[in-house]
Amino acid sequence: MIAVVAITAVTLGALGLGAYGVRFARTTSDLFVASRTVTPWFNAAAISGEYLSAASFLGIAGLEMKLGASALWLPVGFTAGYLALLLFVAAPLRRLGSYTIPDFAEARLGGRPVRLATAVLVLAIGGLYLVPQLKGAGLTVREVTGAPYWVGIVVVGLVVALNVASGGMRGITYVQAYQYWVKTFAIVLPACILLIVLGGLPERAALFGRELPAAPEGGARIELAQPARVTFPRAATVTVDGVAVHGQAGETVTLPAGDLFVPEGTTMPVAEGVRAQEGREWSRPVASGGGTASPLFVYSLLVATFLGTMGLPHILARFYTNPDGVAARQTTVRVLGLLGIFYLFPAVYGLLGRVLVPELYLTGETDSVVLRLPEAAWPGLGGELLGALVAAGAVAAFMSTASGLLVSIAGTSAYDVWPGRSVRGRVNRFRVAAVAGMAAPAALAFVARGLDISVLVGWAFALAASTFCPLLLLGIWWTRLTLAGAAAGMVAGAAAATGAIVVGLASDPDGASFAEGPVDALLAQPAAVSVPLAFAVMVAVSLRTRRPREMQAAMLALHLPDGLGPSALR
Amino acid sequence: MSRPRPPRTPRDELAEATPHGVLYLRRLRHAQLTLSVLAVVAFGGMLGALPLALYLLPGLADVRPLGVPLPVWLVAVPPFPIFVCFGIAYERRARGLERSFREIVGGDDDLGA
Repeated sequence: MIAVVAITAVTLGALGLGAYGVRFARTTSDLFVASRTVTPWFNAAAISGEYLSAASFLGIAGLEMKLGASALWLPVGFTAGYLALLLFVAAPLRRLGSYTIPDFAEARLGGRPVRLATAVLVLAIGGLYLVPQLKGAGLTVREVTGAPYWVGIVVVGLVVALNVASGGMRGITYVQAYQYWVKTFAIVLPACILLIVLGGLPERAALFGRELPAAPEGGARIELAQPARVTFPRAATVTVDGVAVHGQAGETVTLPAGDLFVPEGTTMPVAEGVRAQEGREWSRPVASGGGTASPLFVYSLLVATFLGTMGLPHILARFYTNPDGVAARQTTVRVLGLLGIFYLFPAVYGLLGRVLVPELYLTGETDSVVLRLPEAAWPGLGGELLGALVAAGAVAAFMSTASGLLVSIAGTSAYDVWPGRSVRGRVNRFRVAAVAGMAAPAALAFVARGLDISVLVGWAFALAASTFCPLLLLGIWWTRLTLAGAAAGMVAGAAAATGAIVVGLASDPDGASFAEGPVDALLAQPAAVSVPLAFAVMVAVSLRTRRPREMQAAMLALHLPDGLGPSALR
Repeated sequence: MSRPRPPRTPRDELAEATPHGVLYLRRLRHAQLTLSVLAVVAFGGMLGALPLALYLLPGLADVRPLGVPLPVWLVAVPPFPIFVCFGIAYERRARGLERSFREIVGGDDDLGA
C-alpha cells in the first residue's frame, strides 16, 4: 500500500513538472532541443536521469546476484562510455548545430537518402529500447502492488507520452533531472540504512567463502504458481504443501505447484540454467575458465560499452540542448560524477541479496532483488518504507529512459522523416509522433509479455555501437570519410551485429549456457567484433572512393571554437 | 518558412576564410585529436590493466579490507573517481587549446606563433 502511494507521488511529481515545462515549450527549438539553453548541471542531471534505466536500477544488482562480481564491470563500462563521448563527440557535435543524428549525417555526408536511412535506424534503436522499458514497468508495478501487468505499461506510457507531447525536450529536461535525484535517493538511502541496520554484511561464507547460498533463519517459504524445474547443488530435502521432495547433488527435479518450504540452513536449489557458485568463485570479478568472468568476456563488454554509449540516439539528442561546445564538455564531466555516485550502490544490493533473499535463485527472478531486499532484510514498517522508496525509484527509472527515447523518436519522425512545412505543422507533427511513437511499443510490450526480451536491449546497443559510433567518430575527425564509405560501413556493422545476435539466439534459444565459451561471449557481445568491422569497412571504402569536396565547411562548423564565426578566420 | 537554421556554414562565408585560418583550424583539430587519443591511451591503459591484474593475481582475493575481497573493491569503487579526474583534466586542456587558437586567430596581424 505504501508502495502505491510512493509510486503515485513520483508519477504525479513527473506530471507536475512536465506541466510546468509546458509553459516554456512553444517553438520548434523548445520541443526538439530545449532552445539550447540548458545549463551544465541541469543538463547533466537530466542526461544521467535518462541514462539510468531499469537495466541500471534493477539489472546490475540482479546480474551480480546471478552471475557474480563479474557483473560489476557493467557500471564501469556504462560510465566509461561517457568518457568516450566527452573525448571525441560532445563538443564538435554540439557545435555543428544540428537537431538530430540524421541532421548530422546529412550535413556531413550530404544527400536526403542518408538522412532517411539514419532516421530509420534511430527509430529502430529507439523502439527496440522502449519495449523493454515498458515491459519492465508492467512487471515492476505488478510485483510491488499486485495490479495486472497492463497497469504499469498504461500508466508509464500515458505519463511519458503526455509529458513529451506537451513539453517536448524543454519539459522533459526538468522531469529527467528530477528523476535522476529520485533514483539516486532511492538507491543510496536504502542501501546505507540496511547496512547500518544489519551492522555490515551478514554471513560472509556464502559471499566470499566456500559456501553456497542457503535458506536464511526460519527457512524460506516460496509460493510456486506453476511447477518449477530446479537443480539441487547439494543433496537436500524440501517440502511442497507438506510433501517431502528429495534431490541428489546435481539432480534436476520438477517441483509441483504449491507452497514450497526450504528448511533453515538447507542449500538453496537453483532454477534450471542458473549456475550455483560458491562464495569464493562468485566474488571474483575476473577468473580463469568460461563464463562471464572470463577475461575475454570482460574485455569485450568493456569495449562494447565504451564505444556503444555514444551511438545511442536518445543520449546524443540531449547533447544538442547545451548552449555551446564548452558547455557540452562541462555537462559530460558532471555526468561522469553523477553516474559515479549512483553506480557505487547497486553492488550493495547484489551482495546483501545473495545472503538475505536466496530464494530468488530458486525462482530465477534475481532481477527483482532490489525490490525485494528491503522488506526481507528489515521486516516491519522500516523495510516496507524503504521497499516503497526503491519501487518509486524503479518506476522513475522506466519513465525517464522512456521519455528520452520518445523525445528522440518523435524528434526524428517529425523533423527528418515527415517534416512539417510551418512552425505550427512541425510542432503538431512532433506531438502526433510522440503519441504514435509510444502506442506502438506499448502494444508490443503488452503482446511480448511472456517472451524474454532482454535480447532486444543487447541488439539495440550493438546496433547503435556498430553504426552510429563509427559514423560519428570518422565523420567528426576524418575529412576523407565519403558517403559511400559511411553507408557501406554502417550496413556491414548492422549486419554483423544483427547476424551475431540471431546466430546466438538460434544456437541457444533459452540463453541457458549464457556466455560459456569464447564464441558465446562474442555472440552475446557482438560489438567487440562488429564495431571494428564497421570502422574497417568505412575506412576501406572511403579510401577507394573519390575524396569528398567542400569538407572545409563541415569541419569548420564542427571544430571552430565557440564564439568565433567563420569570419574570424579572415 | 523552411527548416530552422541549416547546419551547414554558408559557402560564401567560407570562401572568405584565408588559407592561413584554415591551416590554423586544421592544426587545432589535430591538437584536439592528439589530446583525445592520448587520454584514451592513458585511460585505456589504466582501466584495461585492471582485469588483467586481477586475473594474474588471484591471491588478491585473500586481502579483505572491511571483510570484502580486494578485487571486489577495486572494480566497484575506484574507477568512478578516476573517470571524473580524467574528465576534468581533459576538459581543461581542451579549453586551453581553444583559448590559444582564439588568441592566434583573434590577434589581427600578430600571427607569429
